[in-house]
Amino acid sequence: MTATRRRLTPYVLLAPGALWLIVFFVVPMYYMVRLSLDAGTLETGFRFNWQFSNYKDALSLYDSQFLRSFYYAGLATLVALLIGYPLAYAIAFKAGKWKNAMLFAVVAPFFTTYLIRTLAWETILSDQSPVVKTLNSLSLTSNGRVLATSGAVIAGITYNFLPFMVLPIYASLERIDERLIEAAKDLYASSRAAFVRVTLPLSAPGMVAGTLLTFIPAAGDYVNAFFLGGTNNKMIGNTIQGLYLTQRDYPAAAALSFVLMALIMVAVFVYIRFAGSEALMGEEAVGA
Amino acid sequence: MLSRRFKEQGKGSRGGRPGHARRLGIGALALAAALAIAACGGSGVESSGSTDVQTVKVTGKPSGDLTISNWPLYIDNKTVPDFEKATGVHVKYIEDVNDNAEFFGKVQPLLAQGQSGGRSIFVVTDWMAKKMYDLGYVQNLDKSAIPNVKKNLLPAFSHPTFDPNRDFSVPWQSGMTGLIVRTDLAPNVKSICDLFDPKYKGKVDMLTEIPDTVPLVMKCMGVNLDHATVDDWLAAIDKIKGAAESGQIRRFTGNDYARDLTSGDVDAVIGWSGDAVQLQASNPDIKFVMPKEGCMIFSDNMVIPVGAPNPTAAEAWMNYVYDPKNQAQITDYNYYFSPVSGVKPILQKIDPKAANSQLIFPTKSFTKTCDVAPTLTPDELQQVTQAFDAVVSG
Repeated sequence: MTATRRRLTPYVLLAPGALWLIVFFVVPMYYMVRLSLDAGTLETGFRFNWQFSNYKDALSLYDSQFLRSFYYAGLATLVALLIGYPLAYAIAFKAGKWKNAMLFAVVAPFFTTYLIRTLAWETILSDQSPVVKTLNSLSLTSNGRVLATSGAVIAGITYNFLPFMVLPIYASLERIDERLIEAAKDLYASSRAAFVRVTLPLSAPGMVAGTLLTFIPAAGDYVNAFFLGGTNNKMIGNTIQGLYLTQRDYPAAAALSFVLMALIMVAVFVYIRFAGSEALMGEEAVGA
Repeated sequence: MLSRRFKEQGKGSRGGRPGHARRLGIGALALAAALAIAACGGSGVESSGSTDVQTVKVTGKPSGDLTISNWPLYIDNKTVPDFEKATGVHVKYIEDVNDNAEFFGKVQPLLAQGQSGGRSIFVVTDWMAKKMYDLGYVQNLDKSAIPNVKKNLLPAFSHPTFDPNRDFSVPWQSGMTGLIVRTDLAPNVKSICDLFDPKYKGKVDMLTEIPDTVPLVMKCMGVNLDHATVDDWLAAIDKIKGAAESGQIRRFTGNDYARDLTSGDVDAVIGWSGDAVQLQASNPDIKFVMPKEGCMIFSDNMVIPVGAPNPTAAEAWMNYVYDPKNQAQITDYNYYFSPVSGVKPILQKIDPKAANSQLIFPTKSFTKTCDVAPTLTPDELQQVTQAFDAVVSG
C-alpha cells in the first residue's frame, strides 16, 4: 500500500503541471500546426490539405522581416547585456543599503503595462518634443527625428526587456561567495584578473538566462515596431498580426508563427551549445 | 489575437554529463524556454458562402430588442433614448466596428452559418456592404417599411454603383477622404502627389483602408477611376510601396492619425473630413484640404444581415434616423455629411456654424472632382488586398 503510494506520488505531483501543459500548450500547438497546413480562404472556408506550400511561401515572402526581427532582437539583447551587466554588478556588490531600492527601481516599470510604457515613449520621442529638439540641436539625429527609425525600435525593445536581463545576472552575481574573489586577490590576481577569471565565469549562467529571456520575446515582439517604428521597420510579429487580423489568412499566419518558433528554438539550442561549452562556463560553480 | 507565452522547463542533462545542468544554476530557469505562439479562436473555420439573397420580412409594429453595430463616435447620446421613447423598442447600441476587414473577420464565421450574432443592423462601408451582399450575408430590404428613406435620401446617394437601387443598403453617414494638413508646418501641401515630395519625408501618414488610399494615389498618377484596371491599382500600390520602403510614409493608420497630426509628428495625412472638423476644434492649424486631384467620397451603410432578429424594429430604426429632425441631431455631433435631405435648415437653427461648413454641406463645385471608389470583382479585391497588406505590414 505504502509502496504503491510512494510509486504514484511523483505522478500525482506532476499531474497538475502536465495537465496544464497539455491543455494550454500541446492542444493549441496541435491546432496551429493543423491550421498551418490548411488551404483556402476565409470566404470559401479553410480545409485541411497538407498544404506545405504555406511554409515555403512564409519563408520566401517574409524573409526580410525575419532577418530584421533577428537583427533587431540580437542587437537589443547585446545592448541590454552591456547596460544590464554593470547595473547588476553595481547592485550586487556596490549598492550597500541602496540594494533593495535599486532592485525595486529595476522592477518598478512592471507596475505599468508594457503597452502604456511604449505609448509613453512614443509621446516622449515625438518630433516636436523637447527631447528630440535637444537632440536635433546637438545634431544627434539623422533626419531630425527619432520615432519611425530602426534605432527607436531597438531602443524600445532594449528598454522593455532590460529587467529580464538584469535580474538573472543579479541573482547569479549575488550568489558568488566573496571569499573566492578575496582568495584570488590573495593569490596576487589584480582586480581585473579576479573579475575576468572568477566573477565573470561564475555569473555566466545569469548572462545565459538573461540573454535568452531578452532575445526570445524580443524576436517575436511587434508592439515596439508598431508604435516606435516606421513603415520600413516592421518585424515578423507585425506581419503575423496583419495576416491574422487584417488579411484573415490564418494558414499563412499559423505557418509563419510556427517557422518563427522553430527558428528561435534552433537559435536557442545553438546558443546553449555554444554558451554551455567549457570555454564560457569556466570551472564548476561552487556553492550552487 | 496572438498571445505570447513562455514555457519554462528545467533543462535535463545533455550529452550524458549530469553535472552540467546544475552548473548552469539559475540559468537553467530559462534554458530551452520555448516561445509558443498560440492562436486563440479562428481555427477550424469551415464554411462556404451561399449567394441566394433573402429579403427582410417586416411584420406589424416595432417592439422588443434591437442590437445595432456601428463605428465609434458616430452617434450623439440622445438619438437612441429618443428612439426608444418613440417606439418602445429596447436598443443595444454597440460600437464594435473599427475596421471593415477586421469586423468582417469577426462576423464572417457566424454569417456563413446564417447567424448575425444577435445583431439586427451593421454599419459598413460601401465595398464591404457589397462584398457581404455578394456572399449572401446581407438581406434585401422591405422598402415599404422605410418611407422616410424613399422620401429623404439625397439623389446623390440613391444610385451608387455597388447597389444601384439601394436594395440592401441605407447610407448612415458619408464623408470625404482627402488631405488633412498641419497648415502651420506644411502650408504648401495641396495635392496627393505632394505627399510623395521628398520635402515631407517621414512626415506623411496614409490610411490602411484600401478604397481610400489607393484610388487617391491612382488619381495622383493620372488614372481615370472610371476606367481603372486592376493593373492601375497594383501600380498605385507599387508607388506606395516605394514610398513606404524609402521612409517617405511614416505610418499607415486608421483614425489614429489624429495623434500624429496633433503632436506634429506628421505634416499631412490622407484622412476623413469629419475628423478634420473635430481636430480643428482643438488646433485651428489642422485643416481639411481638398486635394488638387479631387477627393474620394465614401459612405457607411446600414445593412440587415442574414439571421437578424427583429427586422421590423431594424427597419423602424432606419426610418427613424431618416427623419431630418432626428438626423440633424446626429450630424451635429459627428460632423460628417448627411445623406438625408432637409437637415441643413434645421442645423441652421441649432448650430449655424455647422450648417455653413463646406465639409458637412459641400457645394457641387467643391466636390466636382470627387469620386466614389470603383468596385472590384472578388478576385481582383483579393489580389489588391494581398498586395496592399504586404506593403502595410512591410
